[in-house]
Amino acid sequence: MINLTINGLPLNVEEGTTLLEAAKFLGFPIPTLCHMEGLSPYGACRLCLVEIGSGAKTKLVSSCTYPAEEGLKVRTASARVIRARKMILELLLASSPQSKVIQDLAAKHDIRQQRFKQEYEDCILCGLCVRVCREQMMAKAIGFHGRGENRKLGTPFGVKSDVCRLCGGCMYVCPACQLRCTYTEPEKAICGGCANLSPPCVEKEPFDDMMCYMDPCVACEIETEDKQKKIERRQINDVFKN
Amino acid sequence: MARLSSLTDLNELFDRIRDDVDKAKPRIVICAGTACQASGANDIIRVAKKYILQNQLLDTIGLRITGCHGFCEMGPFILSEPQRAFYHKVSIDNISRIIDAVIADDYVEDLLYTDPKTNIKYYSQDEIPFFKKQQRTIFSLNQEIDPIRIYDYINKGGYRALEKTLSGFSPAQVVGEVKASGLRGRGGAGFPTARKWEMLAREPGENGKYIVCNADEGDPGAYMDRSLLEGNPHSVIEGMTIGAYGTGAHNGVVYVRNEYPLAIKHLIIAIRQATDLGLLGKNILGSGFSFDIKIVKGAGAFVCGEETALIKSIEGKIGEPRQRPPYPVKKGIDNKPTVINNVETWANVPIIINLGAAEYAKVGTPGNSGTKIFSLVGKIKNTGLIEVPMGITIKDIVYDIGGGSPGQAKIKAVQTGGPSGGCIPVDKFDLPIDYDSLAKAGSIMGSGGMIVMDENTCMVDVAKYFMNFLKDESCGKCYSCRKGTQRMYELLDDISAGRGTFEKLSLLEELAYVVKDSTMCGLGQTAANPVLSTLQYFRDEYIEHIKNKTCPAGVCKDLVGAPCQDACPLGTEAWRYTAYIARGEYEEAYRVIREANPFPSVCARVCSHPCESRCRAGTTGGQAIAIRALKRFITDRVDPAVYKPMRVVKSGKEISPVAVIGAGPAGLSTAHYLSLKGYKVTVFEKAAVPGGMLTLCIPEYRMPRDVLQKEIDALIDENITLKCGTALGSDFTIDSLFEDGFKAVFLALGAHKSRPLNIEGEKVEGVFPAVDFLKAFNLKGEKLAKGHVGIIGGGDSAVDAARVSLRQKGVESVTIFYRRTRPEMPALPEEVDAALEEGVQLKTLVSPVRILSQQDRLSAVEFIDNKQGEIDAGGRRRPEPVPGSEKTVPLDTLVVTIGDVPDIYNILTMGIDVVDWGTIKTDKDTLMTTRPGVFAGGDVVTGPNTVVEAIAAGKKAAFMIDRHLSGEALEIIPQVKLPEVYIEPTQESDEEAGLSDRIKIPALAIEKRKKSFAEVDLSLPVAEAKLEARRCMRCDLEFTAYREEKEEKSNETGEKSA
Repeated sequence: MINLTINGLPLNVEEGTTLLEAAKFLGFPIPTLCHMEGLSPYGACRLCLVEIGSGAKTKLVSSCTYPAEEGLKVRTASARVIRARKMILELLLASSPQSKVIQDLAAKHDIRQQRFKQEYEDCILCGLCVRVCREQMMAKAIGFHGRGENRKLGTPFGVKSDVCRLCGGCMYVCPACQLRCTYTEPEKAICGGCANLSPPCVEKEPFDDMMCYMDPCVACEIETEDKQKKIERRQINDVFKN
Repeated sequence: MARLSSLTDLNELFDRIRDDVDKAKPRIVICAGTACQASGANDIIRVAKKYILQNQLLDTIGLRITGCHGFCEMGPFILSEPQRAFYHKVSIDNISRIIDAVIADDYVEDLLYTDPKTNIKYYSQDEIPFFKKQQRTIFSLNQEIDPIRIYDYINKGGYRALEKTLSGFSPAQVVGEVKASGLRGRGGAGFPTARKWEMLAREPGENGKYIVCNADEGDPGAYMDRSLLEGNPHSVIEGMTIGAYGTGAHNGVVYVRNEYPLAIKHLIIAIRQATDLGLLGKNILGSGFSFDIKIVKGAGAFVCGEETALIKSIEGKIGEPRQRPPYPVKKGIDNKPTVINNVETWANVPIIINLGAAEYAKVGTPGNSGTKIFSLVGKIKNTGLIEVPMGITIKDIVYDIGGGSPGQAKIKAVQTGGPSGGCIPVDKFDLPIDYDSLAKAGSIMGSGGMIVMDENTCMVDVAKYFMNFLKDESCGKCYSCRKGTQRMYELLDDISAGRGTFEKLSLLEELAYVVKDSTMCGLGQTAANPVLSTLQYFRDEYIEHIKNKTCPAGVCKDLVGAPCQDACPLGTEAWRYTAYIARGEYEEAYRVIREANPFPSVCARVCSHPCESRCRAGTTGGQAIAIRALKRFITDRVDPAVYKPMRVVKSGKEISPVAVIGAGPAGLSTAHYLSLKGYKVTVFEKAAVPGGMLTLCIPEYRMPRDVLQKEIDALIDENITLKCGTALGSDFTIDSLFEDGFKAVFLALGAHKSRPLNIEGEKVEGVFPAVDFLKAFNLKGEKLAKGHVGIIGGGDSAVDAARVSLRQKGVESVTIFYRRTRPEMPALPEEVDAALEEGVQLKTLVSPVRILSQQDRLSAVEFIDNKQGEIDAGGRRRPEPVPGSEKTVPLDTLVVTIGDVPDIYNILTMGIDVVDWGTIKTDKDTLMTTRPGVFAGGDVVTGPNTVVEAIAAGKKAAFMIDRHLSGEALEIIPQVKLPEVYIEPTQESDEEAGLSDRIKIPALAIEKRKKSFAEVDLSLPVAEAKLEARRCMRCDLEFTAYREEKEEKSNETGEKSA
């Protein structure tokens, strides 16, 4: 067992417990976007930062990935943590302003300004979908490619994956963007299924030779019920959300 | 190669190959490192081989092809043995001469390395300053061995450390030895190597342990690891084997960038040779210890230099870092204990074992032992790889080894540690180089990249460059690193493009701290360093970009426009009139010149032409356009009447009278521009004639008086009253001016008081301050110089005084005495050349000590020799007197020109503050003095300065006085002046135009000019002027041509839609 203190409260946890789990156990709120129970910790969104150490040698670490250490002093809401967290939220808000989750988080953290140039990104590259695909579905159908500003989500070489089982788990876990996969726009599709499947079941212009993997095929549904396109989608959205 | 199965075998091999080598045989060594290959070493090698074979010299001379020697600037080069003569920038035509000379134990004098600054010829490589100050413990072997021959390495003491280890050391002793040596990781962070090894040694080894050599060197401008692997791969292999023995690891990995093909090739060969000899593999030398090395090629991601990302990459996964702990020494490659060290760290290990820890630790400073290899690049004379003991100062590296700045520009900072590092400004160059002091200064040692930056480097641009690199090279896992670097780049781009605000600057800083704080790996945590350290030391440059929308270094394209225009204090569109000259449109050219400058003919002769020093034709390796000569060409040819200045009188308000004191370039410019706005201006001048320093000090052979007079006359119109012979203080005061109804006063008094030498015996007959000497001659025709004349100083007025003296009767010789060296003289180089041509002598590195006199008349001056001492803050070597070197020079006249100061004695009582060094205190932005309504500009504010600066101050003062009198706020909204007018380039190609080098400015024959005051420089002939103008690179087209195209496009689309 390991003894540590979080925000001054002593705590005794099992070896291998992360700081996030320990803090949650004590009830300290720590916002996260890329963390999900059952998936391996990743540390990408940097929202769960906490300050560790004491004296002059303190540093910020992501609590979701940092294992509890004997005698560690942890602060979950120090001025330094809050400053970093607010800046990260401001960055998130500037790049993905349309996400309800991010809007709510920003509001909760009192972000009142957004000083960067507005962007509209659908994905924050948190990697939850990649991990759910690899760790829960054992499929490894999707992953990251590129690095830095060119980092993207997709299947190997951007072609339809033959190991994807169309489970939809990737969309289910998506934290920020709520079903970023919009089936019909190839650059927004995660698995490449829509963009690369050949049967031209749809002749409608916006779909060209694309087809959705959803069952029943969304594209076909749309063909028959053209006007209900948006409603359909929203329904699917709701299914995944709940 | 027979496999060696025991230590005895190895020792026998040592003895056997030692006898093989004929030490007396002369040998040439050719560097075939990547840099030298790029400059043509492969051809040199081919030709050398051919020559040796054709002339059957195989038995008389040896040839060794080696890895990098370090002096990459001078490649390709040949080193001779045993002479150690160093032939640089060798061309294939010279090889036969060199080979013949080496065989005859002779030197090829004209090809030996000669220092371009001091002209000293060096016969031995070890004497060359670049090599002399280095301590090449690791790197020296590079020039002694052929990297693909293991026997070369063994013969130079290679694998002795391994033999020593296996024969007498226990693993714990190996680690102990490294610990005692104090070796710290050379990859940058400086973690004690032995600490890692100890931890690895403690880990259970049954499942295997790894040691890794990190050769993923990705910093821009750094290539030490590459050169080590290319030039001496066995030292790394030996180091790793010893390390493996010490830690109990059996698997080794070299992670090397795929972009280093030569390093990979040499490494593969070296590993194979070592394995064949039994120095790697199972049961090494019968000791029972086994160790294998495999090579993993990195795919070129910078982040893979980070150890956890590197491990992922070796495992075949995407290279992205993970959280530590667990540290690699617990969970590394395939979750097995792993130690990762840099190439250079491994190369240090055999040296520690061979020398012994105590001996090794003697080099460097306590806590930072040993040597470090740096790649010295950037704005430095001697580019290359250097190895220096830790604790050496940056100054030593930059000025002694590096040779200082390659051109005239001053060095202002070095950047260490690549994109993760920071900048160290020139005033911190006394800093010893070690891990701790660099970190304290806000930078890091890094793997050893050292980029030197001079005045022509913009720090905002540097930060932007590194941020651009990092936003591409961040792995992208951490949101704050991925997005943070993108956003920092965006903000830096805004600032460098003139869209910056102070809000953006503070946002940038805020973001930089958060990125530093909140990311997971070393890359992200240091990614903000380029921003933070430039902000720490060069915040004023950021502020210049934001507030004044200028880039002081002339780099940021969107703020600079055409460099010549940007460099001109008046903003003269030099590119534009040059383009008109090329097209033969001379009147247009004159209008462009006159528009910006009320003294075109004056500036065509005496301007310090900052435009030429910024000219891109010159800064990109060629020669600058002779812009001043082109201006002279136009002003000599075109009638000034073609330009009619625009008169804009603000209607509906009272026009107040303005007093201008001083009729020099600053005062007359102010009067002119105020007059154009309708103001009645009275100019008061103390001397009997207007013109200020132009008339009083600039000699007639540079500035013919009729030209000057015409130019001044043209400026004085019906709005301007000139009152010569009236002086401030004696004839009027500022109070009396205001009482007389003047609403504003402009002080342009100039700097007319020469500074004294402050040495013994100065106040005797025959010693003149420069201003008095020149004034007496220019105004009254008094010839004060006689006999042997000495001039003390190195500025323009020193040269003027010298050349004026030379033209006076009764003068036997003229000598300029200057305390520093010729390249450091502040005078325009072409003026110095002209003076020397005329017969003026120049003695540098001397200072006067005392003045000797007979009957109160100067008889001689005692001088003392100076030597070049320490580098001062300005990057120049301070002249230090050499005691005992005093000598007396008999002189009849001495002119002292060590700088002038304004004569401000009168002003002090008039409610105007002055600054300590005797100039008037003004607000830099508004030019207003501490007394409301009183403005000042020109030399009286700046101290002695150039004509063009004075005119610029006058122009600005006119603008400010107008605003002051109209009751408007005193400010100029900074505007970026980009080229706007498109001038079609001449269509002929470069060949058709017959382009060559910069034109030689025609001058009067030396015999003619020695005794006359006729103008020395002559006007350019038409054909040559056109040709010179045609040489212009037309930096303006980037802005204007594009705009035209865009307009055309929008017109086209407009027509279509219509």
